[in-house]
Amino acid sequence: MAPAEPSSSGGATQGQPPVKSPANDPKKKDEKKDEDLSEEDLALKQQLELYVERAQDTDPGLQKVALESMRQEIRTATSSMTSVPKPLKFLRPHYGTLQAHYEKMSDSDLKKLLADILSVLALTMSPEGERESLKYRLLGSDGDIGSWGHEYVRNLAGEISQEYSKRQIEEAPIHDLMVLVVQIVAFHMKHNAEPEAVDLLMEVEDLDLLVEHVDSANYKRTCLYLTSSAKYLPGPDDMLVLDIAHSIYMKFEEYPRALQIALYLDNFQYVSDLFQRCKDPLKRQQFCFILARHGVSFELTESIIADDGERYALQEIINNTRLSGGYLTLARDIEVMEPKSPEDIYKAHLIEGRGSGGGTVDSARQNLAATFVNAFVNAGFGQDKLMTVPAEASSGGSSSSWLFKNKEHGKASATASLGMIMLWDIDSGLAQLDKYFHSPDTHVVSGALLGVGIINCNVQSDCDPALALLAEYVEKEDASIKIVAIMGLGLAYAGSQNEQIRSILMPLLLDGRSSVDVIAFAAIALGLVYVGSCNEDVAQNIVLALMERSEAELGDPLASFLPLGLGLLFLGKQESVEATAEVSKTFNEKIRKHCDMTLLSCAYAGTGNVLKVQHFLGQCAQHLEKGESYQGPAVLGIAMVAMAEELGLEMAIRSLEHLLQYGEQNIRRAVPLALGLLCISNPKVNVMDTLSRLSHDTDSEVAMAAMISLGLIGAGTNNARIAGMLRNLSSYYYKDASLLFCVRIAQGLVHLGKGLLTLSPYHSERALLSPTALAGLVVMLHACLDMKAIILGKYHYVLYFLVLAMQPRMLLTVDENLKPLSVPVRVGQAVDVVGQAGRPKTITGFQTHSTPVLLAAGDRAELATEKYIPLSPILEGFVILKENPDYNEES
Amino acid sequence: MLKVSVKWQKEVFSNMEIDTTQPPYVFKCQLYDLTGVPPERQKIVVKGGLLKDDADWSKVGIKEGQKLMMMGTADEIVKAPEKGPIFAEDMPEEEQVVAVGHSAGLVNLGNTCYMNSTLQCLHSVPELKSALIQYPPPVRSNTVDQSSHSLTVATRELFNELDKNVRPVAPVRFLTALRSKYPQFAQLHNGVYMQQDAEECWTQLLFTLSSALRSSGSGEDADALKKFFGIDLVGRVHCPESGEESMETESVYSLKCHISQEVNHLHEGLKRGLKSELEKSSPSLGRSAVYTKDSRINDLPRYLTVQFVRFFWKRETNQKAKILRKVDYPLSLDVYDLCSDDLCKRLEVPRRGPSNASGDSSVSAPGEGTPPEKEKHLTGIYDLVAVLTHKGRSADSGHYVAWVKQENGKWIQFDDDNPIPQREEDITRLSGGGDWHMAYICMYRARDISI
Repeated sequence: MAPAEPSSSGGATQGQPPVKSPANDPKKKDEKKDEDLSEEDLALKQQLELYVERAQDTDPGLQKVALESMRQEIRTATSSMTSVPKPLKFLRPHYGTLQAHYEKMSDSDLKKLLADILSVLALTMSPEGERESLKYRLLGSDGDIGSWGHEYVRNLAGEISQEYSKRQIEEAPIHDLMVLVVQIVAFHMKHNAEPEAVDLLMEVEDLDLLVEHVDSANYKRTCLYLTSSAKYLPGPDDMLVLDIAHSIYMKFEEYPRALQIALYLDNFQYVSDLFQRCKDPLKRQQFCFILARHGVSFELTESIIADDGERYALQEIINNTRLSGGYLTLARDIEVMEPKSPEDIYKAHLIEGRGSGGGTVDSARQNLAATFVNAFVNAGFGQDKLMTVPAEASSGGSSSSWLFKNKEHGKASATASLGMIMLWDIDSGLAQLDKYFHSPDTHVVSGALLGVGIINCNVQSDCDPALALLAEYVEKEDASIKIVAIMGLGLAYAGSQNEQIRSILMPLLLDGRSSVDVIAFAAIALGLVYVGSCNEDVAQNIVLALMERSEAELGDPLASFLPLGLGLLFLGKQESVEATAEVSKTFNEKIRKHCDMTLLSCAYAGTGNVLKVQHFLGQCAQHLEKGESYQGPAVLGIAMVAMAEELGLEMAIRSLEHLLQYGEQNIRRAVPLALGLLCISNPKVNVMDTLSRLSHDTDSEVAMAAMISLGLIGAGTNNARIAGMLRNLSSYYYKDASLLFCVRIAQGLVHLGKGLLTLSPYHSERALLSPTALAGLVVMLHACLDMKAIILGKYHYVLYFLVLAMQPRMLLTVDENLKPLSVPVRVGQAVDVVGQAGRPKTITGFQTHSTPVLLAAGDRAELATEKYIPLSPILEGFVILKENPDYNEES
Repeated sequence: MLKVSVKWQKEVFSNMEIDTTQPPYVFKCQLYDLTGVPPERQKIVVKGGLLKDDADWSKVGIKEGQKLMMMGTADEIVKAPEKGPIFAEDMPEEEQVVAVGHSAGLVNLGNTCYMNSTLQCLHSVPELKSALIQYPPPVRSNTVDQSSHSLTVATRELFNELDKNVRPVAPVRFLTALRSKYPQFAQLHNGVYMQQDAEECWTQLLFTLSSALRSSGSGEDADALKKFFGIDLVGRVHCPESGEESMETESVYSLKCHISQEVNHLHEGLKRGLKSELEKSSPSLGRSAVYTKDSRINDLPRYLTVQFVRFFWKRETNQKAKILRKVDYPLSLDVYDLCSDDLCKRLEVPRRGPSNASGDSSVSAPGEGTPPEKEKHLTGIYDLVAVLTHKGRSADSGHYVAWVKQENGKWIQFDDDNPIPQREEDITRLSGGGDWHMAYICMYRARDISI
């Protein structure tokens, strides 16, 4: 008999070899072995045969003695199991005899005793699928289940789950089974076999039982197993499992983990409950840091926190006002404050032979690229070499001269780059931008508006300066100003579900006079503000806007932003999209399928839903009729869905590799982008090689997408290999302005924030997905699907959507007054410890640093000192340290 | 009277008093005193809105102790510079050439890389360009036939176009002229124009240009091309059998570098190329005898062309087979020891020149009898300016590419329509010994000094 269920054997942690295999052996073997038994064994065998004989005796007394001795023999043997225990082996030939005898016995305690023994013997003897062990167990004396050993319990658990599903089908009562389940779960939970307990409960669909059995010793392992298995469960089981994990964490006051699950579930009721349950002000501050990192706007109301002062301070943290300061602390500690110029990034002197392609003449395209590179590299540092004027320089000095080295709409991106440089620093950033508001040049003004949006991205101020400044410009006639004002609002209020923004932007959607690009950006901005909210009202309006527009207007490259905006509303919300998706089937056939793919990909983003991945792959296998464009979003959809967890991610990378070989041109163009999203800020070598190969593709759009993606996978890593590849590409493509532009952008991305930032939307040990960050990435990638019309056209500032995903990849430890505190930490590659017993090492190949430190993708940190206790088990971002009261200096 | 705090940049002004009976403009003036920001530049943010100068305080809804935020600086407003930069994208193509730093490539019109590479090499000779500009002469002489004339004109036009364009030029007219003048270049094989030997094209083209320009030239420029490319050789013909000896002079357009087992370097090849054996009837012996001919250079051109004799007619395969042997060539070539005694004498003074003038060639050495006007003198030292390479196993197949040094000192590989910048070190790596591009024709420019 094989192990009952893969799930119950999956957690084989006790190191027992499979013991049931001899059961399959023919009996002959046993007889052969008889001959070379040691004397001791022979004695035992004869002894047992005697017991069997006696058990069939008519004298109940004799029977009882025989059965009890038999039980004694089995029990003493089972306790040390390395092979089939001898008593079991010797009793095997008598299983049938005992069974027959059992049937003849009258009901009595003795009969139950025999049932117990039969139940154990059935462990090796029961024919496949008969579940006799369970049958006799139910007939038996109902004694301590653990007394027969662990293997017996595991076997029973397996049989129970089979029996359960059988009874479910027959709709038979399951009460007797549940009694056993309770016993087994209790046994497993006491004996370090949490995964088995969880598996059994999942099989019998009664996870609630778990809560009673967890204790402070095993709740961590239990919850870890629950949360990691949730990724592989179909809905709605996964939600149920996480709910249980949440209640266990709450029970043991492991609040940060509970918060993490609440955020995963997107359940703000849980978050408010948490604040109400946990009164420790320090812990509350830590919660706020976690909320801030997740990028959700959560308003603390008086009912949650009564004290005005504390509420205000906590709200400040949620509003991310400390982000800029923390980031600069990190930068100072790592000594990278010195601004870098684009030339420092291009490193043309390292390129062999080939001239830097440059003459003395300014190329508008290359200056624009330099503007973006400068913005990405110096993001958040507050100083650079092109845009910010050094204090001592005369006013109107260097900054305006660089600004005017950009052409027309390039000036908008140049001015907006100032916002990127001053990222998260509202006070000084707005002061820097102020003078540009008064420029007579509309491009400069529009850039300033976008800059305001960028500065306010992921940070909120209670004065709402972005709203105050941008609102009036949305009403302007000039489309270029209107668009950036809309985009600025979208960036600044992403995820806020701000009613005021809605009332400003919604009328634009249905205004027949608005051009397509205006409504496209309005849809995106609304999608960002209401990301993942499933807001019916907004969805309705975008749908109407899509229906109203003529076929010609829908042919505009930017028109694809409308379905995308709609999709963002349902980001990660799975089935909730269905009603809207149904409506989208009535759209103009030109965009119907495109819309369908975009909606699906957004709705299942970050879920790892394998069925959806297969659906998208299926779409990619179809041959396009002319003028259809839905395969691009489908390919991106594969990445969006599969990026949820490591296994699916690896599978998706392989599937994309196939698409490259067999797909049509429009699919090949999207594949590099999908790879970029899958490995964002995580330069996997195999993906790097694929992209490097594609960057020399004969199709220039494939090459461009590959180069941008090289930048994305290396974003903020300073990865030397990618930097080298891009340098070579810059000399290879020095002649083609468009391709060179993409190389430059990628170079800027690789050195994003001088290597201190990440674009990965995942955080907190890759458990949580920041919806706004993902939304920002998706918008940018969709824009890259039609590189020529959008990024190489006059909408290059869509690259700034990346700002939504930009976060410092740091661990900054702070003391109880939130002042940076340097402590030693070990940083190493995270190890998967799910289902492992004891306290396994969670990191490997670590190095010890003092905080603040940078964390690469897949890294995990742990404190290397006992002196402090971190208030969050996840050492990422801001972590408050509390002094350990039990710490002893000498020890 | 309300008290609020106002945040401006990193500063906070707390306890600012607002007189609600006065318009907000008055409040702004208060802030002007504190910050120096003129009221019209101030933006005061009140909970998601801007405070207007004439707003009604009661409607703004300000509460006691509220925090306001003021934006605005006294910084100068950015102005566009009077004269914006000129972008490469806006420039006409001629100007872009200057910016790009090299001239255009030539489109391959179907196995015409032999011609393209030849043209690119010759195009790098500015003297040839200026000579062509003067063509045709006002009075057309009858000595030039129509096809030579049109080929010369086509060359002139093509060189002109190359200088003006950044994008590749299609030398259609030139090709037609070339094929009408030399029908062998119009050979077809399976309906496709065949690949040709670049050296043949080079020689024929120079020959035509030379004859066309000679006829047009006047006075001292009569034979301009000979001055640029012609090499005068003086040869001693000696018959070991009879002891006869005679002197012969000839003028060639290129030196041959013979490649044999012993030749590893251009210099050795050139020496061998200047020695030859020939069989002719000896008047004294009354029968044909073997003569040896030992040539020396008697006069040097501005541009020294060296042809590597890499191809020989292989009867078995019926094609021009290629010698793959590696023959190194230098970036600067000294031909002093190939010169005749007469020329050596002439070269001596200029060769000493720079050392006397302590390396400064433009300043004549003081103390010596300075000639009244400076004259350029050859030194016998040449610098590599263009290499025509071949890749492949026979002259009529494979691929020809030109590697040309630009006026700014950069090397460009002209692979048909695709100019690629290269490093100088890579140029000397084209010396053969593998299947990579290998030098077929090298063109050197004389390093001269003024005395």
